[in-house]
Amino acid sequence: MNKELEKLISLHDLDVMISDLANKDIRKQEKKLGLSPASAVKELQKMRQVLADTIDRKHRDMYDRLAGHYGNAVVPVVNQRCSGCFTQLPTAFFASPDRNVQVETCPSCGRFIYWCD
Amino acid sequence: MERQCLVKWNMSSKSLENAIAELLEEFSFQRTTRELLQTALETRETAEPTVVHQGIAMPHCRSILVDDFMIVLGMSKGGIPWPEDKVNIVILFITPVKPSGPSEHMELIKHLAQTLRSGGAEKILSAGSPDEAASILKFTYQESNTDE
Repeated sequence: MNKELEKLISLHDLDVMISDLANKDIRKQEKKLGLSPASAVKELQKMRQVLADTIDRKHRDMYDRLAGHYGNAVVPVVNQRCSGCFTQLPTAFFASPDRNVQVETCPSCGRFIYWCD
Repeated sequence: MERQCLVKWNMSSKSLENAIAELLEEFSFQRTTRELLQTALETRETAEPTVVHQGIAMPHCRSILVDDFMIVLGMSKGGIPWPEDKVNIVILFITPVKPSGPSEHMELIKHLAQTLRSGGAEKILSAGSPDEAASILKFTYQESNTDE
């Protein structure tokens, strides 16, 4: 898999983790388990910054725009469709042997797409 | 809770990182997916070790790399440094990122919190078999493909 794409996926999962720990219901349950979600969020935000700084500026800006607009910037391709907007991808996309070799975006919604291996 | 759970009995790992890797091997992930999930779970542990009870750790995350709940329970007789407290039971789970939000993830955490706090923690630490351990957490024991 393209290293930049791997970083974008990791950034997405990190953002999900941060947003989950900011969710008051999840926070309540994590506290019941004896965990400290507030301090974990602070640490995760620092790690997010470190990771984001290693991502190409163009991709990072695009990621931030997409995440701000849709709530998710990276989505898997499921049944030859972008799982963000459910648009059927052009044949050239899924027929290509170079899946995940480059950073690709959905031609319809612009989200970053990847193929599950 | 009608969830299936794999069990890795007698874990051999001696570190948090190796334990996560050992448990992820129970699933049939491809290499890249496994590596990315390992990174996500380790990141969470670096932010705060998820020791939820003396002797029990609960590494967990939501990820776009899975499309269903992935739950695996690990047991180590010798204990695993996590990284300072030694744990004998590791409950690892990964839940999918769905458009409906984190409600199912939250329900699973709630279920585990309730079960562990109502005596489940002590019971699972003294469980004698994989199916007994799974049933204490009210999961259905699913035999692993990697079992000998």
